[in-house]
Amino acid sequence: MTSRGVAARTVAAPLRVSTLAQDGDARRRASTQLVLDGLAIETRGSVRDAVARYEDALKVDANNPLASLALARFEIFAGDPDRGLAYLDRYAALAGGRSDAAAHLAGLRGAALAQLGKRALAAPYLEEARALAPTVWGDGRLDPSELR
Amino acid sequence: MATSRNKRRSGGWLAGLGWPLRGVGIALFLASAALGEITGRQLVQLDRIVRARFEGTLFRVPSRVLSAPLILYPGLDFELIDLRGTLERLGYREASGNSLALGRFSLARGELRIHRRAFEHPSRAEPARLVALQLDGRSIEGIRDLQTKREIGALFLEPEQVGAYYGPDREQRELVRIDDVPQQMVGAVMAVEDQRFYRHIGLDFWRIGGAMAANLRAGSFVQGGSTLTQQLMKNFFLTPDRRLKRKLQEAAMALITEARYEKSAILEAYLNEIYLGQRGSTQIHGIGEAARFYFGKPVRDLSLSECALIAGLIQSPNGLSPHRSPEQAQARRDLVLRLMLQQGKVTQDEFAEATAEPLRVATVTPDLRDARFFLDALRRELPNYYGEENLAAEGLRIYSTLDLRLQRAASRVISEELARLEKQSRFLAPKGGQRLEACLVALRPQTGEVLALVGGRDYAASQFDRCTQARRPAGSLFKAFVYAAALEPASGAPAITLASSLDDSALSIPVWRNVWEPQNFDHQFHGTVPVRLAFEKSYNVAAARLGQVVGIARVREMAQRLGVESPLPNVPSLALGSGDLTPLELARAYATFASGGIRPRVRTFEDVIDARGQTLERQSIEFERVLDSGTAFLMTSLLQGVVDHGTGYGIRAAGVAGPVAGKTGTSDDERDAWFAGFTPEMVVVLWVGFDEPRRLGQAAAQIAVPIWARFVEEASGGNVAGAFPVPGDVAELEIEPATGAIALDGCPDRRPEFFLRGTEPVETCPQWRGSQPMPPQPRDFEPAAPEPPERRRERSDDEPGLLERFRRWLEEG
Repeated sequence: MTSRGVAARTVAAPLRVSTLAQDGDARRRASTQLVLDGLAIETRGSVRDAVARYEDALKVDANNPLASLALARFEIFAGDPDRGLAYLDRYAALAGGRSDAAAHLAGLRGAALAQLGKRALAAPYLEEARALAPTVWGDGRLDPSELR
Repeated sequence: MATSRNKRRSGGWLAGLGWPLRGVGIALFLASAALGEITGRQLVQLDRIVRARFEGTLFRVPSRVLSAPLILYPGLDFELIDLRGTLERLGYREASGNSLALGRFSLARGELRIHRRAFEHPSRAEPARLVALQLDGRSIEGIRDLQTKREIGALFLEPEQVGAYYGPDREQRELVRIDDVPQQMVGAVMAVEDQRFYRHIGLDFWRIGGAMAANLRAGSFVQGGSTLTQQLMKNFFLTPDRRLKRKLQEAAMALITEARYEKSAILEAYLNEIYLGQRGSTQIHGIGEAARFYFGKPVRDLSLSECALIAGLIQSPNGLSPHRSPEQAQARRDLVLRLMLQQGKVTQDEFAEATAEPLRVATVTPDLRDARFFLDALRRELPNYYGEENLAAEGLRIYSTLDLRLQRAASRVISEELARLEKQSRFLAPKGGQRLEACLVALRPQTGEVLALVGGRDYAASQFDRCTQARRPAGSLFKAFVYAAALEPASGAPAITLASSLDDSALSIPVWRNVWEPQNFDHQFHGTVPVRLAFEKSYNVAAARLGQVVGIARVREMAQRLGVESPLPNVPSLALGSGDLTPLELARAYATFASGGIRPRVRTFEDVIDARGQTLERQSIEFERVLDSGTAFLMTSLLQGVVDHGTGYGIRAAGVAGPVAGKTGTSDDERDAWFAGFTPEMVVVLWVGFDEPRRLGQAAAQIAVPIWARFVEEASGGNVAGAFPVPGDVAELEIEPATGAIALDGCPDRRPEFFLRGTEPVETCPQWRGSQPMPPQPRDFEPAAPEPPERRRERSDDEPGLLERFRRWLEEG
């Protein structure tokens, strides 16, 4: 995918979990709130507690795609791209094709591939992510505060 | 005289004595020297013993296993989870009024207020919190923090204790540090056991004198003069007998201990060592454990009256037990409080308030005997360096995955349903000392957590875990692997789609020098049957033939990929489940379907923490994609059909509504009855049979399905929540069931069906002509998942889509 291809699409604002906090039934909302708590905790640097919150979100609602997305982001930037990609696949299967998630999907996949040493494969994904969400993916990373 | 005195002085005092007396003197001298040496040696020996204990491992503390924490959130059915019962088991007490002390709850006007205690957890630690839960009917509508006035999304309740790994002494204790012990606890113990503790040197001669006088007056032993230090020595090293030698040893050791160690260290050891009651066969030692046992809370949260009650128990823990003898316990508590008042340790107001407090103790929850199977499974999962000895002594805290509510439900259902079955049929009745057995394992498919595990009906009778240690023929449960292998487009087109038909006519397969001729359960052949019908009715011949089409090697490979680890025979009958599998591996394999093709690692614990709170182990969620999400969904859909229309219909008949998928399994000669099924968030595998296999006389639909249904009904309240998400690479089309063709306008018979994109049928009903509107496009599910770009790139050009295939079909005439 090149930036020319991206330019032809309608670019949506990149997904933020906080904008989806009221989506779904009560259980989904509680689960999403745990994801938000986790992202806030991770922003403050308590990584282990943050992961526990993401996993708790799965316990409350195992099919909440945002929990998988948060875990995918965490695993990829914590140095376990394989696990991160598995969570990313799960996110994609659960969330479907949200246009606002396209940048994160591409960026996270690119970051994971780069960590796996597949830089040539990673480059177009990262380029796509930068094109879709330059303010977020300009540095090639997705910080917890940017996803929150 | 002076001379002689001088002589005596110059010649020693013996010189002035006559020879007989001198001999006696020498003998006395030697005797006392010898005695001194013996005494000295003994003191050295005792000193060594005391030091070895105090400077080595002071206590063996059994490692305890805790349940998963209960998460409360808006929308949760609080009746279903037995919130009140859980609070009471955790030691929360009901109170009235808006001002709630720590560890209390109140219920008024549709609002449940809880003053939750601080939550100790390696990664979920939270401070104490005063919250209000708004209730509506059976549901929690909202949760508000009353201190911050903010709504909160989820509230954690502390985990409950599942069990512990005891040593042979079966002592349970929770160690406390002296700094964490409330002063009123120390005051209560000193008031009643040793009020001059800080003033004596290990022996309290004042008190000994008083006790001797009292005993002389009574003419028997009515009062002891032991200090806390002496009591500690007796408990640590000695027997409870009252012989002089033992008392002398105790006194010597007390003096040595006091000479060597600080008062605070001695007091801490005493408070952790003292015996304070019995929970079944387990001894309660120390105030930390007693606080949990009697009041369900940590020692730091004890009230004055609770401290006094525990201190009062020291004299006779079982005779004064508040569970058995509440009146005596209360009288003793009040005595302790009175002593505290007399000794100036409490004020008159404090005394009055504490004595006015009614006696309230935590419900004694018996050891979850059936969770012993889970504890054994967890121990096997721990790394080898956690040997039995370490687990019995190191005081680890193991945060498990067990959902105690589900565990209790599973135990109850197994026990009651087996008893019912035994009465129902002579085949199932006990015979030759053998009773009908069962096991049930429940997992959360997305995370691999074991939520419940019952390895048999009675752990006391047999510790053999049939869920993890018994391999039994899987019967028709295995057909799911055959169909998955056939539906998966591994290299090229899949062998079947859900619109295909299978051949269920007579089949003969040469096997070595014999011929294998599979039969259906009803001993009939059904000719050409749709895939769904063949699976829902569990037709053997159709499945055996499909196994041949796909290839047994591929079926084996599929089973192994999904999570089967047991060796599988390379024979045609494998398609019908002739391989012996454990229920746990079947649960993992079915969990892979439930989680969209992602195989989870099965976990029984999350964290292992040492006695100082340091994390030793952490098991994160681990999984691997082993099947594409589309095929996993098609299998889920097939398995839903079994429950909605097929051999698993008993689940619907039992009143379980919502998304449920599963498969029955009955082995040859009806020796094993299975049901493996799942909801969007739980996989449950149930096996029923005899340890020495014998005929059950009924199929799984009659034996296993009702038990499975009852467990899921109790787990979910009868209405399973959620849905099985449809992945983006699956499309839904209307088809004509008889032919599998796409149903166009005018097609008389139609039903929706799922297809992997690119495998949709090309035929139509009625046959499509160019003048007609275009055939329907696959209905996308909103929102459709995007394909990963690398997958898009990998798609070969020779895999035309539906439209392209129609175009070619038209061109080809």
